Amino acid sequence: MATLTKQQIGSVLAKQGILIAFVVFIIAFTIANPRFLSPDNILSVVRSSAILGVMALGVTFVVISGNLDLSVGSMMSFSTIVVLDLHDKIGPAMAIPVMFAMTIALGALIGFLVGYLKLNSLIVTLGMLSAIHGLTLTYSGGQNMDIADKEGTWFSVFGQGTAMGIPVPILIFVALAALLGLVLSKTAFGRKVYAVGGNGTAATFSGIRRARTVFLCYIMSATCVATAGLIQASRSLGSQNTVGQGLELEVLAAVILGGASLLGGSGTIFKTVIGVLILGFIQNGLLLMGLQFYVQFIVTWVIIILAVWLDIAAKRGKLWSPIA
Amino acid sequence: MTLRTTLIASTAIAFAGAAFADGHSPMKIGITQNNVGVDSYQTTYEKAFIAAAEANDKVESVVLDAGGDVARQIAQMEDLIQQEVDAIIIWPTNGEAVIPAVRKAHQAGIPVIVTNSNIAEAGFDFVKSFSGPDNITQGARSAEIMCDKFKDMGIENEAQVVHITGQPGYTTAIERAKGFEDRLPEVCPSVTVVDTQPGDWNREKSQQVMEAFLVKYDDIDGVYAGDDNMGVGALNAAKAAGRDGIIFVGATNFAVGYEAMAAGDYWGSIYQSPVDDAEAALQTAIDVLSGADVPFLNYFDTPKITQDNMGDYTKPVF
Repeated sequence: MATLTKQQIGSVLAKQGILIAFVVFIIAFTIANPRFLSPDNILSVVRSSAILGVMALGVTFVVISGNLDLSVGSMMSFSTIVVLDLHDKIGPAMAIPVMFAMTIALGALIGFLVGYLKLNSLIVTLGMLSAIHGLTLTYSGGQNMDIADKEGTWFSVFGQGTAMGIPVPILIFVALAALLGLVLSKTAFGRKVYAVGGNGTAATFSGIRRARTVFLCYIMSATCVATAGLIQASRSLGSQNTVGQGLELEVLAAVILGGASLLGGSGTIFKTVIGVLILGFIQNGLLLMGLQFYVQFIVTWVIIILAVWLDIAAKRGKLWSPIA
Repeated sequence: MTLRTTLIASTAIAFAGAAFADGHSPMKIGITQNNVGVDSYQTTYEKAFIAAAEANDKVESVVLDAGGDVARQIAQMEDLIQQEVDAIIIWPTNGEAVIPAVRKAHQAGIPVIVTNSNIAEAGFDFVKSFSGPDNITQGARSAEIMCDKFKDMGIENEAQVVHITGQPGYTTAIERAKGFEDRLPEVCPSVTVVDTQPGDWNREKSQQVMEAFLVKYDDIDGVYAGDDNMGVGALNAAKAAGRDGIIFVGATNFAVGYEAMAAGDYWGSIYQSPVDDAEAALQTAIDVLSGADVPFLNYFDTPKITQDNMGDYTKPVF
């Protein structure tokens, strides 16, 4: 370690600006309330973040490929409502695969429109946001969905179970993050995602099938959303139709906070995870500080801006932009 | 508003009233709802409204839904004015923003009845009657339910309560919170409310808030949630953390709340039926059109429900 030059330290810091911001916030919140770092609290924050986190993993692929997915919030409501409804009708063992198939079909539709028809992803997924909401309401008739026998179902394991003392949602999140991290960084598909997002034309000339890559990104996103819906449904064993409403922006905030570029071509799974945890710990930290909730909206925003600034500042090595 | 339009308006209403009293033509009553389908309460309300209107052959109804969108609701108000309905019932998407549209209907001589959540006071002059639950009383009753239970348990001198409110800025949330916070110190002066945070009418959000409360406070004796959906979210958090003996009190008794009460996990709530709500709104409109004397604040009763008396009530359908 002693042999690291100042420049090397600088370049390490530059890559981990968002991590530094994360550590700074953790320290600040711990000073404000020592219970912030208690194991119970950490587990409960990570468990709550797991739903948002699993969705963010899929959206990371979409964003790196140079597209957006604003439909994930209402898609999550859809999968939650569907799996809860089917649970009592055809049993959990059948309900889960059917729900995954239905959600992935929606992802395939979006992937087809954006990938093969080359429609603008903002418009397509914004439209799908309300279309899927309508679909969910039509499916449920507007009623809340609840599992009749809440005590006697093994279905609760995904949201409420623990293994080796760790809540199952966390295990799912970590396992999926590790798997998708490997897919993105170590496989040919992962490199194609970066190539398509970085420079689509160049990627096409290199023989990459651009449409197919984009299509697969939306399939991954939908699979993640279905997983999130499964955790959500299992956690509360009942749900209103709007359970995922607004989550699309939180997911996008986490992905961008993690440093993925909205223009595509950059971002990593690890940094998205950090982005998710920052959002989760901010919400929890402000609650523990007992800040009045009107103020919380403002403070949350200030912290996000601070995090983004720290990240940028570390990258360029200066607090201020050299070009004024 | 000029004297002339007032005269025209009141004459029109008087004539209309007389006509309906004679039973010649059906009353045409239009309704623009807030956001049907967003929750089971509103869905059940709409069904009950349509059923009640169809069952009454003196009534012809035009049922619209604003989908939670203020602009759409204002456009719907204008449509109803153009269609020359005899009365308009509005479930405001926003208590302030709809006032100009309500005024327009009033100026056109169409009586307006507000249902479920009232509009802001600035618009009261243009409204015939408000039909809905009294949310301040609901909050007060929840405080009484909780205090009575603490007294039974003998902990009314040291009990600590956390409060999970509905969506910030939403009238129902503000009024229930006020009713609870004003009433609790009157009936149980030694009970302290140690923290208040919004659960946004959302079970998952409420569960997260409760998880944070459980970390922050070692001693929580009671939870008051602005509705049962959030109350059950808080209950889930307490169960997961293995914290027993907490008294949960909510409002707007949902099926999940009713079930949790039956299971002995959830103490009490306020029974508010969307069917009563819808029928009261329609009846208020009919009464106004028939020239009956209708109070400006026309509340329907929302009684207390606890584990002790839940047998007197059927399980809510939402």
